[in-house]
Amino acid sequence: MQTESILEIPQEKSISSPKKSNKTLAFYDFKDGLIKWRIWFLLAYQDIRLRYRRSILGPFWLTLSMAITVYSMGFLYGHLFHIELKDYFPYLVAGMLAWSLISMSLNDLTDTFISYESLLKEIKLPYTLHIQRIAVRNMLIFFHNMIVMLPIYVLFHESAHLNVHTLFLLPCLFLIYINAVFFGLLLAMIAARYRDISQLIKNLIQVVFFITPVMWNPSVLPANKLFFVWGNPIYPFVEMIRAPLLGNLPAFSIIATSLGITVLTIIFSFIIFTRYRSRIIYWL
Amino acid sequence: MARIELHNVSVEFPIYNLSARSFKKNFIRLATGGSVVKNDAHQVMIKALNHLTFSIQHGDRVGLIGHNGAGKSTLLKLLAGIYEPTAGHISTEGKINSLLNLMIGIESEHTGYENIYLRGTLLGLSRDEIHQQIDEIMAFTGLGDYLHMPTRTYSKGMLLRLAFAISVNIKPEILLIDEIFGAGDASFIQQAQDKMVSLLKESSIVVMANHSDKLIEDFCNKAILLEGGQIKYFGNTKDALLQYHQQKG
Repeated sequence: MQTESILEIPQEKSISSPKKSNKTLAFYDFKDGLIKWRIWFLLAYQDIRLRYRRSILGPFWLTLSMAITVYSMGFLYGHLFHIELKDYFPYLVAGMLAWSLISMSLNDLTDTFISYESLLKEIKLPYTLHIQRIAVRNMLIFFHNMIVMLPIYVLFHESAHLNVHTLFLLPCLFLIYINAVFFGLLLAMIAARYRDISQLIKNLIQVVFFITPVMWNPSVLPANKLFFVWGNPIYPFVEMIRAPLLGNLPAFSIIATSLGITVLTIIFSFIIFTRYRSRIIYWL
Repeated sequence: MARIELHNVSVEFPIYNLSARSFKKNFIRLATGGSVVKNDAHQVMIKALNHLTFSIQHGDRVGLIGHNGAGKSTLLKLLAGIYEPTAGHISTEGKINSLLNLMIGIESEHTGYENIYLRGTLLGLSRDEIHQQIDEIMAFTGLGDYLHMPTRTYSKGMLLRLAFAISVNIKPEILLIDEIFGAGDASFIQQAQDKMVSLLKESSIVVMANHSDKLIEDFCNKAILLEGGQIKYFGNTKDALLQYHQQKG
């Protein structure tokens, strides 16, 4: 526990708990958010259950609507691009799963503080708790969506494999989760303060979909245009999910890049959170 | 030992979607609400709490009085840790339970029974803790079989019964209460007040905002009279109420 010397008010001896530094408070928010995992996990689960309340399929509507989208896209674009279905179809489906996790997380996380304004103003809960709720909710949705891969392992067993490398998906998802929490916190703070950001992010995500190799393979790009792929910070994360889903290991450069991005995100997000944490409530 | 200490605490709300120019009359002090000021960056701010210094010790039951917009709710939210002081320093010791808005966390599609678990968890109870108290809570609501119906079928009074029953089964050291009885019927209000009394007795510190003089006089040994975000009087309940009424008249 640190004491801060830059205080306008003289501290009296009677105060036993010294003023905690912003860093301690920010760190405590993360810690408290983790301790209260029961709350955010329950809320995330309720979010999904509520959305499909009284429908027969329930949350498996997620699976079904994902299946309809990706199967028809895979079939159509495979023919459109004249690529053999056995190569293209699994690639697109796995890529779309990765993309939907990343894009939906980004969309939802941006609005975290704005959408839970009333909750934030009525119950004292750590800020990171709300972020965790959204991050884990999107993870749960991803697990529902993942079921669409199952028929692909049967139909296209030459190009999509369920093997040891598939297990690598777990650490990859963990890394993405960490990024969701830290980057999401940063986004949610900026979006709470500047209300245009949320619209901007939503528009950007739509554009990024086309320049990220989800529907197309980077190998079709000429060498001098490859910066489109390497300069895209979302690409390594898409690849980290797609490769293990297809039974491959992600390239070392992909892992290294995403680890690098993660470290930067954590540091930057923590600095901003330390500085502005106490202001968030006044922005709502 | 629970306690609360405030040193020169202020809370200022920035108003972002307002141009400072629309306030040409140089910010007259308004009859209700905190004072509106402009900061160095020409941003409009509402000074909801203005340089508060006081301390509340173990055993204190403090009533907050003042007209609408005097800062009662803001002060309670400050004590609850929801707002952090924009200037000054606050320190609290003790586990806090705040009954500010009972309806938060009540999900209309869930049954009353599910909502007990949901709001209980939100307030920091573990599944086991709720499980131990569930019979007591269910009995206290007096809702019977309605507990197995979605809460969207409830009337306002029934919702209040449910929300109240969940919230008061948490035993805090510091209890913060905003005006919470609106729609309850006479028998429930009596029942709720009895429950409140026992809860008040168990808590080490109570801070409550209420417009009922009788409640404040009965339960509180101290009172804070707020006006425009400032403390007008802090001390004896009777004197505070007297001053409050003089100022009104």
